[in-house]
Amino acid sequence: MNLPIRLGSFLAAALFCWGIQTWAMGSLPFNLQRLIALAGLYVVLAVSLNLINGITGQFSIGHAAFYQVGAYLAGYFSIHNFNPQGMPPWLWLILMMILGALGASLAGLVVGLPSLRLRGDYLAIVTLGFGEIIRIFVQNTKELGGSYALDKIPKIQSLWLIWGLAIVCIAVCRNLLKTAHGLSFLAVREDEVASSAMGVNVTKVKVMAFVLGSGFAGAAGALLAHWETSITPQTFSMDVSFIILTMVVLGGTGSITGSVLAALVLFYLPEYLRNVSAISGSTLVAVTLSVITAVAVMKRLVDHYHRPMKQRVIAYLATIVGSAILGVVLNIAFRGVESLAKASFTGDKLRLVIFATTLIILMLLRPQGIFAHHEFSWDWVRRLFRRPAPTPGATS
Amino acid sequence: MSAPGSDRPVVLQLTDATIKFGGLTAVNQVSFELFQGDLFGLIGPNGAGKTTCFNLITGVYRPTSGKIAYQGNSIGGLPPNKICKLGIARTFQNIRLFGALSAIENVMVGGHLRDPSSLLSALSYFPRAIHETARLREQARELLRIVNLEDVAEVRSRDLPYGKQRRLEIARAMATGCNLILLDEPAAGMNPFEKEDLVKVVRRIRDEYQKTVLLIEHDMKFVMNLCERIVVLDHGEEIAQGPPEAIRNNPKVIEAYLGEAV
Ligand SMILES: Nc1ncnc2c1ncn2[C@@H]1O[C@H](COP(=O)(O)OP(=O)(O)OP(=O)(O)O)[C@@H](O)[C@H]1O
Ligand SMILES: [Mg+2]
Repeated sequence: MNLPIRLGSFLAAALFCWGIQTWAMGSLPFNLQRLIALAGLYVVLAVSLNLINGITGQFSIGHAAFYQVGAYLAGYFSIHNFNPQGMPPWLWLILMMILGALGASLAGLVVGLPSLRLRGDYLAIVTLGFGEIIRIFVQNTKELGGSYALDKIPKIQSLWLIWGLAIVCIAVCRNLLKTAHGLSFLAVREDEVASSAMGVNVTKVKVMAFVLGSGFAGAAGALLAHWETSITPQTFSMDVSFIILTMVVLGGTGSITGSVLAALVLFYLPEYLRNVSAISGSTLVAVTLSVITAVAVMKRLVDHYHRPMKQRVIAYLATIVGSAILGVVLNIAFRGVESLAKASFTGDKLRLVIFATTLIILMLLRPQGIFAHHEFSWDWVRRLFRRPAPTPGATS
Repeated sequence: MSAPGSDRPVVLQLTDATIKFGGLTAVNQVSFELFQGDLFGLIGPNGAGKTTCFNLITGVYRPTSGKIAYQGNSIGGLPPNKICKLGIARTFQNIRLFGALSAIENVMVGGHLRDPSSLLSALSYFPRAIHETARLREQARELLRIVNLEDVAEVRSRDLPYGKQRRLEIARAMATGCNLILLDEPAAGMNPFEKEDLVKVVRRIRDEYQKTVLLIEHDMKFVMNLCERIVVLDHGEEIAQGPPEAIRNNPKVIEAYLGEAV
């Protein structure tokens, strides 16, 4: 990349950060500002987890734990050491970000080193366990607020820093993929045995990716702590880890743009659903089950039912009608279950159901994620709509 | 037996190399020597322990006993990536390409171990990393030319036909800058034309690029035609060693192959 392009990207990034800062902070109500801030943090979380899970092919399912380490570390330090006269707040925030990143990276190293040396998915279990350990540790430490909040964290809200971090995170991953170094990360994902036979230090690559990804989560945590001024262990529950994981899987493991888009969509979608009136538990279960059934049957039909058009259309219609009837019947049946009929789901709770359902449907329809390993580019879009060209030499 | 090639330095030396998997001795006290520039064959019936031998040499397994030395230094028990750095590269019997990467990217991964630029410079896209990547790409293109794959450089390796995948594995191994290359059944699944082509490629690797080649192959015509010395394994034991003519007429070998025309 030559100098003008590099300068241009810097300028564009700076302009974007400045724009989002002045526009949002100047003219939006506080709750919308917060949504933009949180969306930026989720972009960081999804892209950094994508580095671990998508690009390097590991399976970390406790990303929120590193988010939490960064948040509590920076928050606690800030409560006791922040001096408004000492330096400009944004500079302090940058220092806290670095502190959070270092703390989370260190945690990542401690967690990753033993589990990443081994083959297989030990990392999944270990990261999950680590999340629980951190949660229990915080809950039992009065200094950190225990089960209640760690509050009175100095309020330093900076949208440009949040989105700046998101851009840095995206840029770092993209740079990696553009260089030979990144190829060795992808190689580890594709085949560990072959990678090591080609001289790749597999453990080192995995640990690097894990430490780097954890570090970004930690930096995001530091920003969150100073935005919210009060954090609780619930802010970083296992749900959050699963949401981040869903974003990565949905976007297509390995695709940076996929992670970014999925993070934005999955973050904002539930926000719109807040306005949806409460749904009873029985309706929710009935709708979910019938939708999944419809998709599953439809998928089988499309793949295997090769009949004349008319018969296929009838089959499709029958599927839809059938699932609808199933939904109605289930709804009536579940209404008999008292606990389900009484439970009501709104906003936040609905969000998890939607995540789960989306994931199931996605795994049925497109197990490789929406973007698969691809990056979003117009060329790619054009190719999607073109008939696949025969690969050169595919016949020999 | 006179030691052919003894005027050249010894590259690889197995001394009583043995590995046991539970009760099964997959490789039992196997000894042979490769000299610089050898074109050496390793043959034997299915399950004889040939691939396991490769796995011992490349560090996938640690020998239960015995010694493996590369250029005079013991390498038994070193991890595969270290052994690769020392100069031993291999291909796999059950092709193990990086499926989602293009052909040229596969080869670039092979070349990456000689890449001095740091991770930090890659993450920040410093000129050093960019130039290194460009250099590796250039080198990879050259290697693809050797194995006649330059026209599919950008095709995802998973989508390549079998014969091309096998040749791509050779290019990827070459990219490591190895001195000794181990080929595990490189001709398996190839048609006669591709095999003929492959013979030329392997010869070229030895003659033009001065690599030492150790290859496993079931196609006797291919091995006899190509290799100058051959070691025969059966049930993990070495039953014969020598030039192709001697192997062809060795009664033990004929018996091991159950009278198949050797
Ligand atoms: N990791 C392992 N654990 C247990 N047994 C193994 C292992 N690897 C190989 N073996 C056994 O060692 C023996 C030799 O296997 P190897 O793959 O070396 O045979 P081969 O000579 O390459 O045969 P082929 O011609 O079929 O490739 C076989 O009986 C195999 O089952
Ligand atoms: Mg074998």
